[in-house]
Parts: sequence; C-alpha cells; structure tokens
Amino acid sequence: MKLKGKRAVVTGGGQGIGLGIVTAFINEGASVITCGRRNRPATLPSGCEYVTLDVADPIAVKEFAASQPAADILVNNAGVQVEKTVTESTDEDWNSVIGVNARGVFNLCRDFIPVMNAGASIINIGSISGNIADPSMALYNASKAFVHGLTRSIAVDHGPQVRCNAICPGWIETGMLEAGFATASSPDAAMQDALDRHPVKRFGKPEDIASMAVWLASDDAAFATGQLFTIDGGMTASSPLNPGLF
Amino acid sequence: MKLDGKIALVTGGRGGIGRAVVKRLMQEGATVYAADLTEQGSLKLHDDDGSHFIKLDVTSEQDSISAFSAVKAQHGKLHILVNAAGIEIEKTIEQTTLAEWNQSFAVNATGTFLTSKYSLPLLRAAAESGISSSIINFGSYDGFIADPGLAAYCATKGAVHALTRAMACDHGPEGIRVNAICPGYIDTPMLQSFFEGDGSGGEGGNIDSLQQAVRDVHPMRTYGTPEDIANLVNWLASDEARYASGQLWVLDGGLSAQVQQMKL
Ligand SMILES: NC(=O)c1ccc[n+]([C@@H]2O[C@H](COP(=O)([O-])OP(=O)(O)OC[C@H]3O[C@@H](n4cnc5c(N)ncnc54)[C@H](O)[C@@H]3O)[C@@H](O)[C@H]2O)c1
Repeated sequence: MKLKGKRAVVTGGGQGIGLGIVTAFINEGASVITCGRRNRPATLPSGCEYVTLDVADPIAVKEFAASQPAADILVNNAGVQVEKTVTESTDEDWNSVIGVNARGVFNLCRDFIPVMNAGASIINIGSISGNIADPSMALYNASKAFVHGLTRSIAVDHGPQVRCNAICPGWIETGMLEAGFATASSPDAAMQDALDRHPVKRFGKPEDIASMAVWLASDDAAFATGQLFTIDGGMTASSPLNPGLF
Repeated sequence: MKLDGKIALVTGGRGGIGRAVVKRLMQEGATVYAADLTEQGSLKLHDDDGSHFIKLDVTSEQDSISAFSAVKAQHGKLHILVNAAGIEIEKTIEQTTLAEWNQSFAVNATGTFLTSKYSLPLLRAAAESGISSSIINFGSYDGFIADPGLAAYCATKGAVHALTRAMACDHGPEGIRVNAICPGYIDTPMLQSFFEGDGSGGEGGNIDSLQQAVRDVHPMRTYGTPEDIANLVNWLASDEARYASGQLWVLDGGLSAQVQQMKL
C-alpha cells in the first residue's frame, strides 16, 4: 500500500476522475475526505469522508481548512466547463469557470499549504487544453493554463515543504465525452474518428489518471515537482490532421 | 532596407523555402550566397536571381570548409547563416533502413552542425562591429508533435531544436544569435512530394481534395508559402531581432495550437 497513514483532501470526488482518485487513494491505504457543492453522492465509497463545500468560496474554504487535521496530499480536481468562445461568454460564465477552476485551486492551496505535513504533495488537475486550445472552450482553456502556472509557482515558492505537480488528462471516459458524441450527426463515426486520433486506440478511464495521482502522492515521486504530466493515450503527441489522411 | 551591407549564406538555397529566403534577403540589401547540391536544387528550373551559387553538400565537412573559405576570401566575415537544406524520408522506423536514417541525420542535423561550426569564425568577425550576427536553423513543428510515417524526419528536427538552444548558450557571449524556425505545412516541392508520395490522395484518391483537407485542419484554413517563412527569416536576420536568441519560432497558421478536432 503506497499511501498508508497519509491524509488526503480531494476536491470534487463524487464522480468521474475525482471518484477514481478517491477510490485509488483509499485502496492504497490513505484516509480521504472529499467535497462537492451538493449533499454526499451515493457513488462515494463508504470509507470516504464527505463535506459540502464550494471551492470557489474563500471563506468556506478557510473554515474547512481550519477544521482539518494536517494533510499529506491535496488534489484539486473540482472543475466546471462552459462551451463558449470569448465573445459568447457572460460575466456569469466567467465567475463560474474562473471561480471554480482558478480561484478554487488558489483558495485550497492558500489555506492548506501552511498546515500540510513536511513532504506533502499537491496535485492539480490541469488539462491538455491548458497547453493547446479546444475550440469554443475559451474560459476553460484559460483557467487550465492558470492551473499550470500556479502549479509551477507553488513548487518554486513552497518547496521543500510541499511538492506540487499537475496532471493534464486528455479525453477521459466520463459522462461528458459520451454526451459530446450523442450530439454528432453520426455518433458511431464520430466515436471511431476520435478513437483513431489516439495511438493507444482507446479513451482514458478515471483509473488512468488515478494511477498517476497515486504515484505523485507517494514517496516514489519524492523528486518530482513543478511539472505537468500529460496522460492522453498519445493524442497530443501526434499532429491534429484527420486520421487516415496520409 | 533591413539588411544593407550584410553578407548571408543560405544552405538549401535553391530549395522551395531556401529560394524565397535568398530572394528576400537580397531585396533587403544583403549579398547572398545560395548553397545547394545543384543550381536547380529541388525545383525544376532556376531563373537567375542574382545570388552567388556555391555548390555545397552540407553532409561534407570538406564542402563546408571550402565554402566558408571562399566567403572569407571575398568578405572576411558573414552576418547571416540560414540552414535550410533538408530531406524528408516518409517512413516508420520499421520501414526505414539504417542508410536512410543516417542520411536524414547527415543532412538535417549534421549538416546544421558542420555549416555552423565552420562559419563561426566569420560570424564572430561580423559581430566584432558590436552588432550581433544571426544563425537561423530549420526545425519543424514535427519536432514537437509527430506526423505519421515520418519517424527519422521528426527525430532530426528534435535534434535541430536542441542544438539551436545549445548553440545560443555557447555563442551568445560572442555576439551570435541562434534561432530555429519551425514551419508547419509550407507549399514547396518537399510538401508536394509528401502529398504525392503517399498515394492515398485523400478522399476519392484526389490530390486536390487531400490538399483541401489539410488546409481545413488549420485555424487559418490554409497552409503557408515560402514567402511567409522568408518574412520571419528577414526579421530574425535583422538588427531588430537583436534580443531574440535560443528560441524555436513556430510558424504554422495555428495548426499546432489546437487540440485534435472531434468530427461532430
Ligand atoms: N515545406 C515544409 O512544409 C516544411 C515544414 C517544416 C520544415 N521544413 C524545413 O524547411 C527546410 C527547407 O525545406 P523546403 O520545403 O524548402 O524543401 P525543398 O526540398 O524544396 O528544399 C530543400 C533543399 O535542400 C537541398 N539539399 C538537400 N540535401 C542537401 C545537402 N546534402 N546539401 C545541400 N543542400 C541539400 C535540396 O537540394 C533542396 O534544394 C528543410 O529543413 C525542411 O525540413 C519544411
């Protein structure tokens, strides 16, 4: 068990990638607390503690951190996306996307870093879209670039007390991906085309991200800090041409 | 004119990109040596453009030594070196023979090494004026992300990127700036042979629809021209770029700025 005796805080652990991380951490022996804006989701493993918390709210985050025992691991996973270009985006969109994805990460880091154990590990969930753009995802893309920049700053400013890295997932099979294909003119063809863009010929699973999170949280990664780790089945290693063109 | 009085040498100077670079540097007032395997280079015909032709195989150490001695005898210095000679083998590693692998590195990587090495004394001499001299290498967006079936090419371009930064560190203190341009798809004989060589010809086996499909993947909906590249060479070669060094300048119509496009 790689995380025995460690205390982990994972934001947004009720579903998708967050749930994968919570489950993996518990399996590796960590004690885990997660949070979400709603009541405790039924999907959560029974061993996981839960608190209702909006990460975008700085006062609530401060109170939460003050109520917690010293943590060894912080995973900033909570995130929202709005599918719009810059000119389509409203102030409300800004507040929602930047509030959760950027300010939320900042809030948690600001209040947890001072109370984390020496050698602690912060893992932020960035995205491949923080490096290269997904169309019509302007605020989302920018919020993830913020996460990447903040990750490096924390590593630089707060080492050696904490290590801080980001994981940049590619296309991971969560509800969001299927919903996207469902809107295509030909869902099957769209799905096949998307698969063809992955050298590994499959999409990611939450467990693929969770296993990297376990490694980064563990002492095996003691020398890893300030980096962005892309897990995308090879998609961004290849040029964005249509598959089969050449 | 930005390059009045400067001396420049362009390898692959009779190739698709090289020719446009030679033409532009001359328009800006430079004296230009076009170095290539043959007077025609990769194009079928060559109209006299007023450049000085030097026969140079970039893989040959002796050729480099001779070429730069000739420049030295004429001018005693060189302000601009553009390493635009290149070859592209369209194969996976399994299909690539050792000879093809070695030849790819010999032209794209070793060639850049040799011409840079033997031009350094001349570039230093030019920098003694207090104004930096400039080496411009050719990397590629393929040095960052891979096109299928271009393994050796991608690897040589990654090597050029790293060499660019290394040379910039080592020779910056001597007043030599070193940058690489990383083009996306540029309409040259190299690109056309890539389109034709593949044979699939895109949808319906038609090369026009293949070309259109490639254009459509670009945010700018077009691929570039050799003149687009020459515009950047001109700037990097000029004194306006005196603070620019050690960088990889991607010029690709936005191609590599985007995530793969879902076809919805
Ligand atoms: N065209 C593109 O889309 C593209 C994209 C990325 C990078 N590039 C790079 O730009 C540079 C120029 O490419 P281009 O499109 O003009 O290709 P090109 O084939 O039109 O020209 C290349 C030139 O290099 C010369 N050459 C080849 N081997 C040589 C050797 N051993 N010694 C001297 N000269 C030699 C050829 O004779 C030719 O004139 C290359 O480094 C290429 O890899 C081109």
